Amino acid sequence: MADEFIKGFAILTLGLLVWMMFASWYNTPSFYETQLIAPDPENPGTYDAIAFIVRDAMLTFAILGALTFWVVIPAGRRAREYYAAN
Amino acid sequence: MSDNDDIKTDGSGPGIVAPDDEVPTWRERKERTTGLSRLTYEYFERARREDQDLRQESSYIERDVLGFPAWPHETVRNLAIGSVFVGMLLFLSATMPPHLGDPANPAVTPEIILPDWYLYWSFGLLQLGPINPDLAILGGEKIMSDELYGVLANVVVVGAIAIVPFLNKGGARRPVEQPFWAAVGVGGVMFAFTTSVLAIDNLLPIDPNITFDLTFLLPLVAAAIAYAVLKTMREGYMYDLNRRYYRLRPPR
Repeated sequence: MADEFIKGFAILTLGLLVWMMFASWYNTPSFYETQLIAPDPENPGTYDAIAFIVRDAMLTFAILGALTFWVVIPAGRRAREYYAAN
Repeated sequence: MSDNDDIKTDGSGPGIVAPDDEVPTWRERKERTTGLSRLTYEYFERARREDQDLRQESSYIERDVLGFPAWPHETVRNLAIGSVFVGMLLFLSATMPPHLGDPANPAVTPEIILPDWYLYWSFGLLQLGPINPDLAILGGEKIMSDELYGVLANVVVVGAIAIVPFLNKGGARRPVEQPFWAAVGVGGVMFAFTTSVLAIDNLLPIDPNITFDLTFLLPLVAAAIAYAVLKTMREGYMYDLNRRYYRLRPPR
């Protein structure tokens, strides 16, 4: 249980860290307005487009990874125990 | 001597009368009750049992040592943890754009004067003027100014919190075992929240009078709900506890 928690937590932390880096580069026009979730800048270059993909991928990875280790795997284990017992 | 003639000490049968100096007094009988020792036993026995279950479930190798030496084990571990945080700081400071805010203008008073959010409760306590009583004996005068009243409210609250470490209520307890004190804690947390809201009531779309009343009403409601819930939970909780340890060795 503790192992699953720290795995999910590490994925969440590292994923959000990288997401926050890109979001602070591209989605924070000013610290007096919307931060981290402002709309993307227009006409991104090739590298910017790649950065958007990485940013979204890291956010998805963080959320799905944490959900996997905190919800899906423990639930699967419970279900397996339950069906093994019956 | 047959079985029927055995001397029984529980009062049944053709017993004997104990000598006066062996008969326990009512005070001694009270002191010999097993309630507290039984509760203590169950408490620690449950902790031991949970520990045992966790160890049996665990895939780790069981160890017999109480701890690890400071060098090298703890030191290396602490260095690793420290490196993670230092690395995170360096990463953030290197990659994220710095916030260079506008310079402060000392000639202009800000529109909203507020402390940091975690001090709102104290700021709210300064606004308790409406409950500063004006005394008829003084001809409707107040015995102290509203400002002093607010400062004294801070003193009272901080003093109450400062006393807590000196109240010896034993080791850590579960809220279901102490519903009243748990309810007091819930009410205190709620009061901290409502006084924080009171501090910014001019920013809220609520009538300030209602906010002021709710400041004192909501903590009472929250404490009552917490008390009722915990008191209700206690029966089932103690039932589980007793069922769990029914077969275990009773205390000596």
